[in-house]
Parts: sequence; C-alpha cells; structure tokens
Amino acid sequence: MSRSAALSSFIDSTPPGELADVTKAIKSILGDDSVQNELSPAFEKYNEDQLATVKLPGGSGEVVVSAHNALGDGRYYDVESQSSFAFDHATQKASGVQSYVLESNHSDLVKSLVKSLGTHASEHYPKASLGVYPIEDDSQIAIHTVANKYSPSNYWNGRWRSSYIYNPSSGSIAGTIKVDVHYYEDGNVRLITDKKVDLKVGGSANASEVVRQIANAEKKYQEDLNKAFGSLSEGAFKQLRRQLPVTRQKVEWDKISGYRLGQDIGGGRSR
Amino acid sequence: MADPIDSALDLLRRLNPKDVKKNVDHLISLNPDLTEDLLESVDTPLAVKKCSKTKRDFLCCDYNRDGDSWRSPWSNEFEPPLDDGEGVTPSDRTRKMEVKANEAFDVYRELYFEGGISSVYLWDMDDGFAGCVLLKKSVSSSPKTTGSWDSIHVFEAQDRARTAHYKLTSTVILSLGTDSEALGGLDLSGNMVRQVEQDMAVEDDTSHVANIGKMVEDMELKMRNLLQEVYFGKAKDVVGDLRSIPPLSQTNRDRQTQREMISGISR
Repeated sequence: MSRSAALSSFIDSTPPGELADVTKAIKSILGDDSVQNELSPAFEKYNEDQLATVKLPGGSGEVVVSAHNALGDGRYYDVESQSSFAFDHATQKASGVQSYVLESNHSDLVKSLVKSLGTHASEHYPKASLGVYPIEDDSQIAIHTVANKYSPSNYWNGRWRSSYIYNPSSGSIAGTIKVDVHYYEDGNVRLITDKKVDLKVGGSANASEVVRQIANAEKKYQEDLNKAFGSLSEGAFKQLRRQLPVTRQKVEWDKISGYRLGQDIGGGRSR
Repeated sequence: MADPIDSALDLLRRLNPKDVKKNVDHLISLNPDLTEDLLESVDTPLAVKKCSKTKRDFLCCDYNRDGDSWRSPWSNEFEPPLDDGEGVTPSDRTRKMEVKANEAFDVYRELYFEGGISSVYLWDMDDGFAGCVLLKKSVSSSPKTTGSWDSIHVFEAQDRARTAHYKLTSTVILSLGTDSEALGGLDLSGNMVRQVEQDMAVEDDTSHVANIGKMVEDMELKMRNLLQEVYFGKAKDVVGDLRSIPPLSQTNRDRQTQREMISGISR
C-alpha cells in the first residue's frame, strides 16, 4: 500500500473528537510536520463523512459540515443561520462568515424540516447539530443529525450520526444510522454500528410527518441496540469464556494433574 | 516532538483495534525503524499452527518464533523445520516446567473455555525464567454473530529464597460482531491490558506452575469482569449519553420532582 493510502486509512479510522491527536501522532511517527498538506484530501473526506460540527464566529450553536452543504473552495452553508463559511479541514475551524440565502423550490419545506427536526432533537439529543439541504438539482433533500459527546479526561468519546435522503415527490426516506464509541483507558475498545433505514411517507406529507417517521426509526434502533448489548453479553461473550468452571469452583492448581487422570474436566463439552 | 514509538503506540490506542495488524504493517512501512519495537510491544490476535508430530494445534507469538518458524509446545520442534540448525529451545529444567505448564493450562482451558487452544512457552533468564501463556477461542452462531477471545499473559519469575517474585502483564483481545437485517452491522472490538506483581512461596518447580496458574486465573477473572463492564455497560451508557429514548423534557421534569421530594423530606 502506498504511503498516502496508509495515511488516509489512519485518518479514516479516527475516533470521534480525536482528529488532532491522530494528526499529531502521524507527524511524530514520520518526523515530518509538512505531512499536513498530504493529508488534506483525507481530512476533507473525514470531516464530510463524519458530519464534522463547527461553531461559527459570533454564532451560538454548532453547524454541520457535509458533502451536501459544500459550496466548493472549502466553503459550506447553514440554513438556520442563513450564512456560509470557510472551513479549515485540518484544524476544524470556521472563518469568513457571510450571509447566505437558500435558493430552492423547496425552501419552505427545508425550513419547516429544520424546525421540526430541531424540536425532535431537543427532546432526544442532549446536544445535537442538524443539517437540512436540498440536493440533486433540488429533487431531493438531505437530512442530517449528529450528536457528539467527548470526554477525553475519562478516556471515552462518542458520536451518533443519522443521515437520510428524502424524496418529496415519491415520499421515500432512505438513510443510515451510525454509532461510533471509543473507550481507551488501559486499552482500546471501539463500538461501530451501521444500520440502513428505509421509510415512506405520503406524497403530500408535511415536515412534521417526515420527522415523526425518522424519530420512530431512531427510537426503534436505539432500543434494538440496547437489546443487542444484552444478547451479546449473554450469548457470544459467555460462549467464549465462562466466568467460573461448571463446578463453580476455581481451579485447584496444586491438584491440577489429578484433573487429567480423572478425566473429569469435560463438564460442558457435550453441548 | 514526541518519541516516534510512543506516538505509534498512541496512534494504535486510537485507531480501530479491529485493524491493529493492518495498522502495524502500515506503521512499519512508514517508519521501518519502529519494526522491532512494534512487533515486541503490540499484541495482535494469535495465529494458529498445527504441530506435525502430535497433530495438535498450537498458538504463535513473537516468543516462540525463529524467523518464519514457530516452536510447538507439544513436540518442542519448530514448524516448519529450521533450515539452519535447531533453533533456541529452553534448558532441560525449563522445558520440564513448560511441559507441566502446558498440561495444566490445557485443563484450565477446558474448564473455562470449553474448547479453544492454549499454548505456554517458557525461556531461561539469568535470575529465573520468563514465559507466556496464550489462550484463544472463537465462536460463531446464528443469526450471524461472531466472537473471538485471545489472551496473552507474559510473565517473569525471579527466584528468591523459598519465594519467587512474579511480574505479569496480561492483554485480552475481545472481538464481537453481529450483522442482521433488523440490527444492521455492529462491531464491538478491542483490547485491554493489566499488570500485576506478586511474591509467592516456592517449594519446587511444580510450585511455579501452580503460582502462575493462580495469577493468570485471578487476572482473567478480573479482566473478564472489566471487559463485561466496558463492552456492555460503558458502551451502552455512552450511546445513552448521545441519545435519550425517553423525551428529555420528561426526564428533566422527573428530576425536578425528585429534587423537590428530597428537599421536602429534609425540611
């Protein structure tokens, strides 16, 4: 694999909130600060895929960076604050804020979606950033929700991302929900999930109907995910290693050769 | 700038642990000076080889490796055979302990893992000996759930008068995954490392095997509990911190009511 492919794969695999740490490590490993330029395409892809969030100078909340609100030349726009901004993919900082008025046949729908999604998000995400953008020549609408919680002092970081493409004429809503959790105290544990979602609303559905469908799917997914933790713990994890032997006794190491002679160790083998 | 090897280890602590082997290969190609340090200090899932003499499977790591050959704990011979001579094998005394330790951990493996593979390798040191205990098990069940456990226990035993000082570093690599229509893809993988030092009584070489057995057993019990907590407790809690199933306004109201009740009682 080429050098740049290897470096890109590192950036691609960066956990939530740790891009600066990964970049710093790469520079030190290569003994080369100028690698930053080489990493630019990987940074851009990472930030757009991961729905990087950024606080605009003078703004209140954080806005989303994605492939769907890119204006080119490193600029992106936000519907709610009606502004566009330059985004530095290496430092994840915004600058050069200008006013931006959305021009779309769906601009009313987009604004109602932003409002409905905001109401839903405030009820279920302690801290989330949202993005609703017309795409594909105004034929479809991209709907993004991203929630991050970073706790590096406790060695964990997490991200929930959901992205949907809503087609107003057919009523189809297709998307994915992705969860990424990193825990790294005396180790490195990662949860990565990816769930496809396919929903449908009526042809003349309003914004709140669209958001209601999305809200139901996300609730169902979180419930299923919680159940999955339980079944992995009770299933595969227990099958890998018992907490105690079938006898409920720890091994008597002083008599270990006796276990052999008696052939009495195969307690659970017949299953 | 930080030492490149420290940065490489920091990077591996951050990138997806499922790709650790691939990432180590990348790091080596990016900075060949790190090769030896990385191979020595990064634990990757254990490879399995078959002992051609005994037809039994054994586990491979850096400690039983000589070039592209690995020493079988069952036959004490290298697989595949070494071109140039016999390779490094333990002294007679240490090999005797190694045989006993392999028998003992074979029992342990059956009791706790009910399957899987175990291998123990020992080598001589100036003031005692050192070794590693390796255990591996994989499961796959329907619907499309897979899991694997690799434990790597590396220890040193320093002989003292009637006691020995043991230093144990244990890594467990645990990987779980499911893929189904209903849940989609889920991968929960990682590794955790713990260290412990202990002085224990020694009568003869049999005591060493029992002492190491007890230490490894206690450590695995502790680490299994820790893994349970992190994989199924912590990960789930973080998801709950990102998104709340009950509406937050309800949760906040409940908290408010609870606070009022508590202050009412204390009044």
